[in-house]
Parts: sequence; C-alpha cells; structure tokens
Amino acid sequence: MDLVTTLAIYFAAVIAGFILLAFLGKVPLKYSLRNLIVRWPISLMTGLAFTLVIGLLMVMLAFVNGMYRLTGSSGYPDNVLVLSDGATDEVFSHLGFRDVSEIEFHPSVQRDEKGKPLASWETYVIVNQPIPSHARKDGRKRRFIQVRGILDPERSGQVHRLKLKSGQWFTTGEGGGGVREVTLHEPGKEPRTIGAGEVVMGLGIARELGPDYRKESLEPGDVFSLGDRYWVVAGLLDSHDSTFNSEIWAKWKTVAERFGKETFSTVVLKTVSPEEAQRAAKDLVQNYKKAAVQAVVETEYYDSLNNTNQQFLIAIGFVAAIVAIGGIFGIMNTMFAAISQRVNDIGVLRILGFAPWQILISFFLEALLLAFIGGVAGCLAGSFADGFTASSIMSSGTGGGKSIMLRLTVDLKMMLGGLLFSLAMGALGGFLPAIAAMRVKPLESLR
Amino acid sequence: MGSWEKSFLQFLDSPVRLGLAVLSAILLLFFIIRLGSIYFFLRLIFLNLTRNLVRTGLTAVASFMLVFVVTLVWTILWFLNLVTSEKSKDFKAIVSERWQIPSQMPFAYQGALSEGAPAMEGDFKVDSSRDAMTWQFYGATIDPTKRTRESILFFFCMEPLKFTKMMDGMDEFTPKQVEQINHWCEEMVKDKRKVILGKDRLQAINKRVGERLKLTSFNYKDIDLEIEIIGEFPESRYNQSGIMNRDYLNDAVDAYNRKKPLKHPLTAKSLNLVWLRLPETPIFQQVEKQISESPSFTAPAVKIETAASGVATFLDAYRDLLWGLRWILAPFILATMALIIAVAISISVRERRKEIAVMKVIGFLPRQILFLVLGEAILVGALSGTASSLGTYFLINDYFGGIKFPIAFFPVFLIPGDALWWGTAIGVGTGLAGSLFPSLGACRIRVSEVFSRIS
Repeated sequence: MDLVTTLAIYFAAVIAGFILLAFLGKVPLKYSLRNLIVRWPISLMTGLAFTLVIGLLMVMLAFVNGMYRLTGSSGYPDNVLVLSDGATDEVFSHLGFRDVSEIEFHPSVQRDEKGKPLASWETYVIVNQPIPSHARKDGRKRRFIQVRGILDPERSGQVHRLKLKSGQWFTTGEGGGGVREVTLHEPGKEPRTIGAGEVVMGLGIARELGPDYRKESLEPGDVFSLGDRYWVVAGLLDSHDSTFNSEIWAKWKTVAERFGKETFSTVVLKTVSPEEAQRAAKDLVQNYKKAAVQAVVETEYYDSLNNTNQQFLIAIGFVAAIVAIGGIFGIMNTMFAAISQRVNDIGVLRILGFAPWQILISFFLEALLLAFIGGVAGCLAGSFADGFTASSIMSSGTGGGKSIMLRLTVDLKMMLGGLLFSLAMGALGGFLPAIAAMRVKPLESLR
Repeated sequence: MGSWEKSFLQFLDSPVRLGLAVLSAILLLFFIIRLGSIYFFLRLIFLNLTRNLVRTGLTAVASFMLVFVVTLVWTILWFLNLVTSEKSKDFKAIVSERWQIPSQMPFAYQGALSEGAPAMEGDFKVDSSRDAMTWQFYGATIDPTKRTRESILFFFCMEPLKFTKMMDGMDEFTPKQVEQINHWCEEMVKDKRKVILGKDRLQAINKRVGERLKLTSFNYKDIDLEIEIIGEFPESRYNQSGIMNRDYLNDAVDAYNRKKPLKHPLTAKSLNLVWLRLPETPIFQQVEKQISESPSFTAPAVKIETAASGVATFLDAYRDLLWGLRWILAPFILATMALIIAVAISISVRERRKEIAVMKVIGFLPRQILFLVLGEAILVGALSGTASSLGTYFLINDYFGGIKFPIAFFPVFLIPGDALWWGTAIGVGTGLAGSLFPSLGACRIRVSEVFSRIS
C-alpha cells in the first residue's frame, strides 16, 4: 500500500471517528461551531497559529519532496553507472580509456540500430567561476559550475533519456567539431570573431548564468565565458526534475584538456531491462579484472545521494515537533478559556441530562474543529510553494556532492499528512481541557 | 587595559548590543526615579500573572519551545554570517587552483606560494614559518569492502605545528586543551604515523585513542597508510576531522614513485590549498597581484581569495536553504509565538473586563492599563525567552556538543554567547507584538458599557 493510500485511510478514519463522536455525543456540533464564532477573535488567532505551523511544515516538506523527486527521476533502473573503485563521487573517479572501451562492450549493454553499444562516456568536473560584479547577490563572488565532457552527445542523450528543448546538440569529431565561430561583442571593445566551444546545458544553469549577461536565461546562440575560454550555447536540455538541469555538457576532448582531467569519471550503460542492469552491475564488480571498478544500477546511485534529504527530513521533523508543542499549548489556552467562560453552560447541559463524557466529546470536537480549519488553511497557504525553484546540494555524505536546482513540490500525501498533523495537535491540545470540562460539577457551576 | 574592560568593550562593539545597553541604562534610571509606582505596577503585573497559573505556564512553555528553535536557527545563520563577513585586518586568504574544484596543484608550488610569491624587491613576503599553512586532503576507509559513513576518514595533511597557530576555532578550546593539542602535534612530528581525530569520527568508526589502523585511500589510490591515533580533539568544529603530518603522505607518494614504473596520478596534483595570514586589505591586494602575475603558476593557474569569500562560494549551493531559514522559518515561528501570547492576553483581558472598568472608576488612566497589560505579556515573554536561551546554550553546547547539522564543511554549530540576549529580546519583542492589540482593547473598555451589561 503506498503512502497516499495509507494517509487517505487514516484521514478517512479520523473523519469517521469525528462524525461518530458527534453522533454519540449528542451535544449538537452547531453549539461548538457557534461558540467558535462568538469568540471569533480568539478562535481566529488560535486558528492562525495552526495555519502558520502547518503552512511552515508544508513549505519545508515541499523542499525535501522536491529533492526526493529530483533524485528519483535522475536515474533509470535499466542503466548501470560504472565508476573507478574507491571513488565516493564522480569527481574522484578516474577510468582509463581502455577500460571504458572494453566495458561498453559488455554483453548486457543494449545496441542501437547501427549495432553500436548504448554507452555514455563522461568526464565530470566542477569549475570555479567568478561572478561579474553586476550579477552578485549576497556578496558571493564565485560559483561552482558542473561541466560534463561527453564523447557523443546524442548517444548520451539516448542513455539518459534527455531531449533538447531548443537548439541542437554540439558537433563532434576530431576535425574541429565542438567549436563554432562566433562574433564577440564586449562592452568598450571592437567586435571580434573567435572560436567558441559548443555546449548544451540544463535550463536551471541557463537561468543561473543569464543574469551574468543581463538576461533572464541563456538561449541557443548566446556566448559566455567559463574557465579561460568562451563557449556558445548550442542547445538547451529538456532536463526538468533531473540533476542534469544544473549541468553543462561539452565536447569531451575540450573539457579534458581545458580542465586537466584526461580520464573518464563514469561510463553509463543502457541495458534492456532493470533485471539485466542488476546482472551487469554484479558481473562487472565480480568479473571485470582489468581494473577495479564499482558498478551500480543508476537508480541505486541516486538513492545513495539521498543522505542530504534524510538529514533535512530529520531536521524538519525536529523543528515541526517543537513548533507543534507551541501550537498545542496555544489551543490548550484557548480551550481552557472557553471552559471558564462557559461554566454556566456546562452546568445547564448537565442538568438537562447530558452525561460528563458527552461534555468531554463536545469540547474535544470543538478543539478538533478549530485545528481542522486552521490545518486546511495552512495546507492551502503551503500549497502556494508548489512550483518554486530552489538551489540545494545532494550528497551521499561520504565526500563530494552535486549542486542541484529543484522544484518545490506539494502533493496529496503532504496535504493529507499536514491535515493529520494538525488534527493530532488539536487532539493533544484539546484533550486535557475537555477532561476539565467533563469534571465541572453542575450545581457548583450554577451557584 | 584589564581583561574585563576589554571584554566589556568587545561586548559593546555590536550596535545592537550597544543600543540594548543604552536602553537598559535609561530604563534603570527611570526605574530608580519612579521606584515606588513601578514597584506597585510590577506587583500588580505579577499578581495578575499568578492568578491563572495554568494559562501563564502554558504560554511560557510555548514561548520557551519556540525561542529554542529560533535560537538554533539563528545560531547557524550567525555563524555562517560570521565566517563569510570580510575582515579588513589580520585575516586569512586561500590560494587554490583557479578553475577547478577540488583544487589540485603541484606540491612544488608550496614554497613560493607560502611566501606570497614575492618576485621583486619591495614585494610583500609572507613569513611562511608563522603565517602560512598548506593543506593536502587524504580520504580513506578502514574497511575497503564497505565504504560507508561509519568506515571513512578524512585527513587534513599539514605541518602539525601549524595547527594551533593557523587553524580557526582555537577559541573553542581551553588553554589546557590547546596545550594538550600542541603536545600531540609535537609527537606527530617525531612519529609521522601518528594522527589526531575528532570525537564524533572516532565514535563513528568505533575506535579509541591508542589504536593502530590500516587505511585504504579512495583519492590516493594505492597509497594505503598505517596510522596510530594519538589524540582526540575536544568538543569543537573538529569533531568530524582528522589531521595528519603532510610529510607522511608525501613520503608515501615518493616511495610509490620509486617503486612503480609510472608516477602516481596525483604526484603533480597533491597540494590542495595554501593558507596565508595577511595583516590588512592593501597587503592582500598586493599579494594577489604578486601571485596572479607570477609566471610560475600557469599550469594549472592559481587564484587567491579571502577566506570569507572562499567559504561564501562553498555555501552558494545552500543559498536558498539559508534564505528559507532566515526569511521563512524564523519569522513564521516568531509570528506563531506572538499569536500564542496574543491569545493568552486576549483571554485574560476578556475575563477582566469588569475589573478593568473598576480600575478606571477608581482613577487608573487608560495608558496605565495599557502598560499593565503590555507588562504582563512582556514579562512572560522575557522570562521564558531568557530561560530558553540560557537552557539552549547549556543544553546544546555542554550536553549535545553543538548543533550537528552539517552544512558545507561545518559539521557542528556551537551556540554563541550572543544567544543569551537573543532569547530576552525575542521574548520582549513577541510579547510586545502579541499584546499590542489586546492591551489597546483593554484601555478602550468603556465603564458605562460594562456596568450597563451587569445591571
């Protein structure tokens, strides 16, 4: 059973319980609702406290949900990622040309229509780039940019199931491929023609670099500087919801020479099925003897990068629990005050024949009602976070990591979870005052 | 100048603290002048708060918990702000590879870079024996079959005697602890295999001081070293770190090169960072010019930046997360706290309508009633806020050893001394914000209206 179904069942059970209590309690629900309306300023403030707590929780969870979604959609279960043995991250991995060219001919690797193996040879580097003074925010002067040197961009696109949103793949080949002549217009200088390296890039990094050139986002044909040379955008990757959204892909040879890493970081192999991928990974680790390699199914690799997400999730759980205590005590105050103001009402209800447990139910439902209204408002407020983009980092916690651009994601399970959390706060905060209401003695209260 | 005078002047260095000190002095003066009437009002406020202990207690506990979270969040932001703020005097600069991360330079660069690459007469020369330090990174696992967080170790390979002279965070240690670390460092010079490890790392790998380990490196492939743990860093930012004598690593690389037909791939890439301590910004600019214009550092090219700027670059990936902590989480919690106080005070005012009407009849002015209600909220907020920040300070620093929320290369955040006044300020601020409307409502209560209802 998936989490949404589980939460939906819990939520349905809570609502059913609520209706059952209202039916058994016999004190009309309208009475509780009316009391909330009569004391509207206090009800409003208490409800608002719930709205803030749940809204905050939703925004924090939307961030982590976005990270999980990104790691979940970055890899494929039928791809095998091969790194050098001992490397905890792509940055530290070094595979030789001979090893990569042998590994790609593993029998499990799928072939294209021309019979060539579907393998992506990649060199991953992180480039430290100065930010022009007009584009600096919060005093930061430099940024890290992830660059991937690729031998055959179309083949790599096929392996990673990436298509171009606009433009074209960069050209390859020994005879000058991957370079395009462009005219460079620099402020205060004569226009000049230069040979710029061709790249394709994710939409996230295109938006990140855009302000450097006083644009919202870089587009195909735009020229930018990286390292000690100029580059031209050949195309933009349709890479939403994947780690490639924050990457620049360029011709392997150019990247290797420019950034001094002439080995391969990884080779990604596409197999025919997830089962075949598992078999290939195991076979490479156990039987490939020419070099020590580690091979993992791509989805498992991205799962291992969830360490940061788990760390954030623990922190959010901690903050939510502490903030919830504040909310619980807030509703306790409200409900205790409601009892002290309605002592006479309670006395009258008891004299009319309502049992103490029915009074308890009435006050308990009132607290739940307030929590529910506040919770619904909090979920609605929090849902506005959906779709916002944010930068973050994901890592396995053993060194390295990837800078990513993620999209905050609010979904049904979060909404249901938020509402249940709000109702739990209401139940915990409303129970003690409800017991106090139950123990009010009718004659004393009317005296 | 005495040490207490120095501490006092340091305390007043912050404009916020100076403002608070001036405000406190004014309040104290006012308090002395109006001692009699203030005592009367304080007593009234106190009696009102003790009238419903459940409500006051619930409000105080809620405020206590929320100040706790805000203190934790502000601690992280405060520290990151501190390390990314540019200083103009006696600061550190980092020399690293110009374009790539991780920075990998030939070890041959270290001699000239440690002196700031002076080339001509008149160039600034850094005293490399005192104001320079090199870092080489050595990552390894104690279990080559399983590389998990529980088996990996990460060492800063450096000159051991520079540790207490050049590294940050020495103020987190007591003088006795510094002395102990210096002693271990001297031992590391005598026996290069000896290393110091952080408390949490030792705990994670389940090893103790005195044990010997065989390391299998994951960045220096085939450079596997045997080490002996000589000491454990006291509770500090070094909880997850380890330091090793750089000569041990370099000798191992040399030995590899002598034995094997091909040189180790990291032979010309073993120097990761060079730290320089510089007296002031103009000197930094001069050293920057010396290094960037030197023909000795072209393959690879190098750059120099202030430590604050370097750290800020590493924190770039966290910028939205930190923005969220600063502008969403903390303000939302403060607003929740103000609302909880507002609920409590509103209920209290509502219950005392008749009493407030009587007070007006016997001569209390509306502003006095306003101050009375505001005072109740401020007192609850200030007391619970102060108690919370004090409790947080001692609980987190002394019991938990700091906030263990790793961001970039900062594994732990210790609550600063400044946090002791944050709690009071938060309590007073949220108390004031939460009680403003209820107290205005209280001073606007109409006597005739209240008594006509009674009649």
